Amino acid sequence: MSVAEASQTPLDRLRRLGEARSLAIIGIWLGVLAVWLSVPPFTIRALVVPAAAAVLGASLGLWALTRGERKLGWWAIGVALLAILVALWFQSEESAELESVFSIGLLAATFRFAAPLAFAAMGGIFSERSGVVNIGLEGMMLAGAFFGIVVVAETGQWELGLLGAMAAGAVLALIHAFFSIHLRADQIISGFAINFLALGVTGYLFRSIYGTRGTPELEERIPNVHLPLIEDIPFFGDLFGNLNLMIWLMFAVVLTSFIVLFKTPIGLRIRSVGEHPKAADTVGISVFKVRYAAVILSGVLAALGGAYLSFGTGNAFNENMTAGRGFIALAAVIFGNWRPFGAFGACLLFGFSSALALRLQGSPLLPSDLASANLLSTLPYVLTLVVLVGVIGRSRGPAAAGRPYVKQ
Amino acid sequence: MADIPLLELKGITKRFPGVIANDHVDFELVKGEVHALLGENGAGKSTLMNILYGLYHPDEGEVRLDGKRVRIDSPRAAIDLGIGMVHQHFMLIPVMTVAENIVLGVEPHSGPFLNIDAAEKRVRDLSERFGLAVRPEALIESISVGMQQRVEILKALYRGAEILILDEPTAVLTPQEAEELFEIIRSLQAEGKSIVFITHKLGEVLAIADRVTVLRRGKTIETVPREGATEEGLARLMVGREVLLRVDKTPAQPGDPLLTVEDLRVFDERHLEAVRGVSLEVRAGEIVGIAGVDGNGQSELVEAITGLRRPESGRVVAVGEDITNEGARDSLEAGVGHIPEDRQRRGLVLDFTLAENIALKDYCEEPDSKWGWLYPKRLVARAKRLLTEFDVRGGGPQTLAASLSGGNQQKVVVAREVSRDPRILVAAQPTRGLDVGAIEFVHRRLVAERDEGRAILLVSFELDEILSLSDRILVMYEGRVVGEYSPDVSEEELGIAMTGGGREVAA
Repeated sequence: MSVAEASQTPLDRLRRLGEARSLAIIGIWLGVLAVWLSVPPFTIRALVVPAAAAVLGASLGLWALTRGERKLGWWAIGVALLAILVALWFQSEESAELESVFSIGLLAATFRFAAPLAFAAMGGIFSERSGVVNIGLEGMMLAGAFFGIVVVAETGQWELGLLGAMAAGAVLALIHAFFSIHLRADQIISGFAINFLALGVTGYLFRSIYGTRGTPELEERIPNVHLPLIEDIPFFGDLFGNLNLMIWLMFAVVLTSFIVLFKTPIGLRIRSVGEHPKAADTVGISVFKVRYAAVILSGVLAALGGAYLSFGTGNAFNENMTAGRGFIALAAVIFGNWRPFGAFGACLLFGFSSALALRLQGSPLLPSDLASANLLSTLPYVLTLVVLVGVIGRSRGPAAAGRPYVKQ
Repeated sequence: MADIPLLELKGITKRFPGVIANDHVDFELVKGEVHALLGENGAGKSTLMNILYGLYHPDEGEVRLDGKRVRIDSPRAAIDLGIGMVHQHFMLIPVMTVAENIVLGVEPHSGPFLNIDAAEKRVRDLSERFGLAVRPEALIESISVGMQQRVEILKALYRGAEILILDEPTAVLTPQEAEELFEIIRSLQAEGKSIVFITHKLGEVLAIADRVTVLRRGKTIETVPREGATEEGLARLMVGREVLLRVDKTPAQPGDPLLTVEDLRVFDERHLEAVRGVSLEVRAGEIVGIAGVDGNGQSELVEAITGLRRPESGRVVAVGEDITNEGARDSLEAGVGHIPEDRQRRGLVLDFTLAENIALKDYCEEPDSKWGWLYPKRLVARAKRLLTEFDVRGGGPQTLAASLSGGNQQKVVVAREVSRDPRILVAAQPTRGLDVGAIEFVHRRLVAERDEGRAILLVSFELDEILSLSDRILVMYEGRVVGEYSPDVSEEELGIAMTGGGREVAA
């Protein structure tokens, strides 16, 4: 697929822009832009500006509708209507109140919420692209969170903590790999076993080492990266001038995952093993080796996500602190069509809605009964589901995912 | 042709649980020849070649290449020795491009990156050199089966194959594509490549091979040159007895009409009208053949008759009972038996045992079950009897259907349908992919069932089959019956009708 895309001429791309599908997508984005225009830092008070963008988006949607692109067309119209409602609503709110929710902090928080998911999701992509379903991401994250913080607490060095986390994730992944590749166990069951194993082991060790006091205060955590030059740029600098090291690592991992999977021989082999292992075998590729490597890599990446939770953005370990993030990451893999940028987009969307929900809690923007923590905490799940299921629809995964390979 | 063999297989023996697939098989290949490996389904041809390609490991015997003994324990080793194989089921990844599939495992790269431009260029060069037209940037799932096969051949050539094994290469091809393949084989031969051509089709052997080695039940029977070989002689070697390539039958004694179809209209899954007002009648004791090119509504017609697809309008009456809008269960209870065109998808549950497959339609009735309780021993007992009667080889009642060869799978389907004693038998492509022995068996059985007084509707794309079995022939074209012929019609006339040039019949 990547090759087909690369070999398109610019003219082909231009022609594609005229298709109904592309029009509808542009319409949807115009609706999103209309919402964005009415919040800080723009906070355009003149209703006409966001309304114009929304109307344009809706008409593109309508045009797409008449040319047969029904689903996306309706979406463009829906988003445009929503944008006008939001714009009307925000007209009447105080600027300061809007700024308390919609600030640069919202974007920074989006990255913070998305990072653990993104690491695990990239891991999931490697594993599934090689044909091994990895439900155990959750447990691998948890193990990374716990064993990472233990090493940091013992040595006082976050670098060693990261290594410790990665080792823990790799060990769990190795167990999953052995069961699902060598013993041909059901990969779902093996993955669940990994999750329970991680939950049990970390919970037991956590209590037996730290008792009721919890993890000790850390001398070191994963540091932020100060970029003096960028820090001074308005807006952009506020966001990127002082990010945690792991956020930068996340960007690097996503980009590298894409390059490895789609631009290198290694990636071609991983994908071939996940699509048609026998075909790979008959050209001399070792299905077992590729799968082991991919699954272990997935454990390492998931554990990095866990480490960020416990001593990157946080500073302590709690029992079951991953709280289902591994599964969200798995969902991001599927929504993202087993592609790094797609999955990253899904993680960002989830991160954004989590951050938004957190900021809307108790905000004067909402009536008090709507601003309750309980209701708002469902927002990320609802929003992610609606957007991803609605817009993206069916995705197609690696053909051999979940099926053990039997060599004759 | 040089006299020193390029490749020698000596005394190869391979045992699988319960079967000896190869029993001290000898085979030799000289440089530049096309050597056909002929045998029935399950004779051990593919096993032998999978051993040569390193996919199976022989229990006994040796492989010699250029006179030196070699050990081939993996496909990689075979590739390194210059052996390439085109598998019967293509080893291609549908979602990847032609070029990606060809270079997989030996990718051209610049630094750590895949150099896809170089890959496409090499593929283009190779395809020009050997005259194998492919589009390097096309996705495998979007190209024809014939082109997929060329990709497989290029895959082997790209890896420097000198010996090319083609495993039943024509099984999936149209006649035109098969002819193109023969051209390709001749040009490969001219380039000095040596080719092993696995097949069970006699005509192909005579068309393309220099020599023929015949396998039967895992043993080498004989190696003969093409000169002087005849279809009858090869068939005898292959099956081990005289084979009638023509069906023997007496004139039909048609009785009452059992199956009546009136003005039937059926849509396909894209909601296009596939059957456009077909009327026909099949009487007891006759075989009505439906001739036509694939995709002219035959499949949908069969599905409508057997209750697998709901017709839009019209009527289907089986043995006096209107089953137009009924399901498959009603259809079979009305007395319709069905040999489906795709035995692996519709005829059998591949992960079930033969006993379970044979009981698929009767499991819910006595004696198979009573008060919702299944009696597996009764299923096995019945299966044992039927497997013997229908000469199914390669497994017993407890064998999984998936492990049988295609011909034997088909015999299981025929056994189930015929043993249910249906008044009407709908046979769609009953001999697709079968070898001469199995074809002869199925044909004889169909004629015997006709003589028992059943009404048989035969759908086939093979003109030979239609002509030799049918008592009446209907030609379907674009969803309509465009002509009715008696079996002494010429192939030519039928061919013209099948492409829409025949006389119109208001049937």
